[in-house]
Amino acid sequence: MSAATTAILYAPGTNCHEETGAALAAAGGKSDLVLLHDLMQGSTDLARYQAAVIPGGFSYGDHLGAGRIFATLLVARLRDQLVEFLAAGKPLLGICNGFQVLADAGILPGRAPGHRSMALLENQSARFEDRQVRLSVASGKSLWTKGLEGQILRMPTAHGEGRPLFCPGVQSVSSDPSMPAEGARVVLRYADEEGRPTMRHPDNPNGAPDAVAGIMDESGLVLGLMPHPERASLSAHYSQDGLKLFRNLTCWLACEA
Amino acid sequence: MPIHTIYTLAKDDAEARSWLAFFRRHGYPALAGLAIERVFWLEGDISVERLLPLLVNPLYQTAAKRSQLDPAQGPIVEIAYRPAVTDPETPSILAGARALGEDGLELARLSKRYQFAGLDETEARRLAARFLYNKVVERVREPGELVATLRPTGSPDPVGTVSLLGLSDDELDGLSRERSWYAPLSQMKAIQAHERAQGRPHTDAEIEILAQSWSDHCFHTTWKSLGLLKRLAAATARINHPLVVSSFKDNAGGIEFYEDWVVTIKGETHNFPSSIAPFGGVATKHGGVIRDTLGFGKGAYPIGGTTIMATLDPRLSDDEVPPGALHPQLIVSESIRATAYYCNPMGIPMMHPVYRAHPGYAKCLALGHSIGLIPRKHALKDAPRPGDLALLIGGETGRDGIHGATASSTGMTGETLEKESAAVQIGHPITERRFTSAIPVLRDAGCLRALTDLGAGGISCAVGEMGAETGVAISLDAVPLKDQSLTAWEILLSESQERMLLVVSPEKLAEARSILDRYEVGATVLGKFTASRRFEATWKGRKAVDLELEFLWHGCPLDAIDTAEPQRRLRPLEIPEPQTPEDWSRSFHGVLSHYHCADQSAAGSRFDTTVQGRTAIGPYSGKNHRMPTNLYVSAPLYGKSCGVVTTVAVNPFYGEIDPAQMARLMIVEALTKAVVAGVDYRDCVLCDNFYTPRVRPEIAWDLKRMVETVADFSEAIGVPFISGKDSSSGTFEAPGPAGQPPRRIDVPPTLAVAVLGRVPDTRKIVTKEFKRAGNKLLVVGAMDPATPEAPALAGSVYADVHGQRGDRLFDPGDAVSIRSVWDALLSLHRGAIYVSGSAIAEGGIALRLFEAAYGSGLGAHVDAARADVAWASHSLRSGQASPAVAGASRSYPSSSISRRVRGQACPERSERDARTTAAGTAALLFGEFIGAALIEVAPEVDVEESLGGVRHCVLGEVTPEPQLALADSGDMLWREAVSSLTESWSRTFREVLE
Repeated sequence: MSAATTAILYAPGTNCHEETGAALAAAGGKSDLVLLHDLMQGSTDLARYQAAVIPGGFSYGDHLGAGRIFATLLVARLRDQLVEFLAAGKPLLGICNGFQVLADAGILPGRAPGHRSMALLENQSARFEDRQVRLSVASGKSLWTKGLEGQILRMPTAHGEGRPLFCPGVQSVSSDPSMPAEGARVVLRYADEEGRPTMRHPDNPNGAPDAVAGIMDESGLVLGLMPHPERASLSAHYSQDGLKLFRNLTCWLACEA
Repeated sequence: MPIHTIYTLAKDDAEARSWLAFFRRHGYPALAGLAIERVFWLEGDISVERLLPLLVNPLYQTAAKRSQLDPAQGPIVEIAYRPAVTDPETPSILAGARALGEDGLELARLSKRYQFAGLDETEARRLAARFLYNKVVERVREPGELVATLRPTGSPDPVGTVSLLGLSDDELDGLSRERSWYAPLSQMKAIQAHERAQGRPHTDAEIEILAQSWSDHCFHTTWKSLGLLKRLAAATARINHPLVVSSFKDNAGGIEFYEDWVVTIKGETHNFPSSIAPFGGVATKHGGVIRDTLGFGKGAYPIGGTTIMATLDPRLSDDEVPPGALHPQLIVSESIRATAYYCNPMGIPMMHPVYRAHPGYAKCLALGHSIGLIPRKHALKDAPRPGDLALLIGGETGRDGIHGATASSTGMTGETLEKESAAVQIGHPITERRFTSAIPVLRDAGCLRALTDLGAGGISCAVGEMGAETGVAISLDAVPLKDQSLTAWEILLSESQERMLLVVSPEKLAEARSILDRYEVGATVLGKFTASRRFEATWKGRKAVDLELEFLWHGCPLDAIDTAEPQRRLRPLEIPEPQTPEDWSRSFHGVLSHYHCADQSAAGSRFDTTVQGRTAIGPYSGKNHRMPTNLYVSAPLYGKSCGVVTTVAVNPFYGEIDPAQMARLMIVEALTKAVVAGVDYRDCVLCDNFYTPRVRPEIAWDLKRMVETVADFSEAIGVPFISGKDSSSGTFEAPGPAGQPPRRIDVPPTLAVAVLGRVPDTRKIVTKEFKRAGNKLLVVGAMDPATPEAPALAGSVYADVHGQRGDRLFDPGDAVSIRSVWDALLSLHRGAIYVSGSAIAEGGIALRLFEAAYGSGLGAHVDAARADVAWASHSLRSGQASPAVAGASRSYPSSSISRRVRGQACPERSERDARTTAAGTAALLFGEFIGAALIEVAPEVDVEESLGGVRHCVLGEVTPEPQLALADSGDMLWREAVSSLTESWSRTFREVLE
């Protein structure tokens, strides 16, 4: 196809796909809403897309665990497409429930579909938390955060399970953005008014250890974050900081294409 | 087939922790620990190992083939769905298993084991029964219970007949109560006469349908008898507002937005189920009103919602709560959990989370709104044609919610909790979310002739209404059941949630089905529309229903309702005036920590306010996003600046003093909240939700005056109501002490008004928080600080803090003067003259000053004398000519406003004695001048020009230091840091939830 197109993957219970498309459009990108059902039926194929986003929501009602069914279908029914997509070095973004899917599918942090090495646990408060947070960009090594290192981004969070847990195998998260290969690379941290990573609620809405809000894989192509950049992208929004992530994608796609 | 079990435990179980804290708060302080073990029951020839990745995450869960709980640690209560009822998770598990190549799995079910350390068996079971399951669909599994199969089993009763011939009036009444029809004698006799005429006894299904279709909930018998049902619609028709597209005929009302889009609004109360089972009741309150949006025209998309809960004071001690009523603290916390449980997965932003308390709400007010967006060309339904198909989509039909319509139409007694628990529905947002995505696709593909939601009365009501003009014939065998033991009338009346009825022409059926498949929405053809003018339903080869629609919709007799003017026992306010700084401090802390004024974000922050990426201004804003905005602004068209604005007003205190004036004030308050933000009232419409006690002559008198006042007033200001709902069952009967008659608790006459408006540019909305130190603070609008009896304090939070109510409500003047204030504000807004603004309501100017300071990090300095001097000079200049004065003196001759102006001429007013000053100052700060607004302008700005004859006064200015300071002619009366006031403001609601 002519322009590089991003697939926005959604399933029953996903509820942030349309605004994610709007944010991509605002960043000058082109996107299709792609039903998981259609991929499984073979009526379309991930190979047709140059990038993908798994947006937020409560896919399949979060039955058995946040993102669990979506991740199981991804890994079990679409494994080949997924592996091919990752091998082709295409960017992949998981927002909120999408991050939970990537974690449950083993795609983050280790790019190992079917081998979980992290989970996103219920918030420390055991409640859904709707907040507007500050994120300090810990690393610009991901294509999504290129050139943003050290910046503070303002955007909403809204989730009940966002507290990262890394399995012993994976080196636990450190504030050092450059990490060994099996490590979980921190890209975004919840920050206080002074822009320092914080454990203080509600600046850190879920009690995330080391204030981790978003991580990337070793290539920096795959990013997962709990906050919602698509809700801070349009002129009507209280902040347009989220647009920077989507602009980075459209620039990258333009250069690659 | 073999049955396998897997027991899982979470290593760090936040859910168990929060339940533990919750139970300790709610009567189980002895509870020392709580563990929750989840059990999967898997039937089929399978390798359990292969399913583990689906069911367990070893990173935070442990799994075993046997229970991992040590029985010595405390009693274990295991809760599961009843054998006849399917689990909501089952389809997800089967889908996951198939994906993993485990086709041998035939059925999967779940149960949860709760272990209560520190309780005995009996206490544990009592706790579980109260909080952890709904006995209509769930049960306690007994230890060692053998399971042959997991298949839902159960066998239904056959269709029965009920003959009313020869029954005496008493027997008819008794039967009506015993069968939970709650039909008045006149209706029972009409059914009896109909049986005689048709020469055969009715089937049980037919009588059930008549009883619920004629219930107050569905048929609005009270409003019809009083001739009120068409009253608001008639006023709206006379206003003939150019923006109104659909009013009072569809599931919601709709107005023109921009770019060929229509926005809709609907408010729905769910008071009865929320009072007896708050979690289920409130969850389905949201589910139901969202389906009203989906069921508007050919399917609108929900883009916002509200939750408005009014209960008894949650801080009551257990013995202060009437027997048979749930503790209000439980109702509030469960309602918050339910709103989060339903609205967050639906992906619909919360616009207005509002919590109120009043000693009359033993039967609580549970109100939710839903606003929607739909293309102009799909905003009107087509009429079903004979031959069209009735397509039932969504969830399966179960035993939940049977008799919801009839039970919710009757008063609530101490026993209702027990008897009608079956009337409470269970909600599963994922099922509704599926068709929320599918319906716009069906609509745009032209598959829908019409659609409606299944709510009260279930299939019978939806099918009966859709087929009212034609006739309809359905087969109940086609209805997918989650409970195999349902008989015909139960299938017809079940109020199982998450179901919609589509009207599809035969040639569109295939396309509709394929779309529904893609979105994984269940769909069944129930039957088709006919030309028979009859409602026919067959079940298991026999006719369960064969009713002529004429009788169903026009055969209901209306009992005349007498009206009589109520004698209110009202006393004028006698509040000692603050004199010392300590008095003032106590007054401010008292008002700011009042339940209605306090920080409610502890609840609001549990609801998603930004999902859909349309939120321009959410319910909280300001420096730290906790300042209430009293406003929601959505930019529904991505990339466009035009916006939808909503505000709400509800006040339980005013209704006690003067229901009609309260109703009028609610309209003024809700509209002023929108206008001061910069929304033209000519671009606004209204949605009404009335909640009044069980009808009797005094109640009827109030209800009539409320509705007539509201209808006339909306016509006078030219702002129409486009949808609404009436609930006339706000009475709770607590069993009296032995031998005594039951104690009747009535809700205060309540009207919740919601405004739906549009603005061309959301970025021009003016918000509440202060913007710059040194700016002037003005109040614009009718107010009257210095009258001795200070009516603006009647019904105020300030009065409630002093345990008083008052005897005469504030009057902002007639429609002309109120519009002149709005016009003045709008012209100031057009000129960008004011930089912050907020409408005066509960808590008066004092609350607004605090909120605006809190939200900005700045402060305010107010001088009461400056306010008064401004009044004097202003009144001398514009005098009686001011429309507010003229208007007010016209409508209320003894109005304080006119006397106030006469006061200007009297010499003794100039030498103001301390008491009056204090009276004036307290009333100035805490008076609830509905219709007036606090605005902030640059110091050099002269507003006289734009304000002309409109009443206004300069209050003081914004200060750099974050404190509130109050002076009189320069003498400092009181000053206090915003931070110390914040303490009181944020404590109240946190304590209610903790």
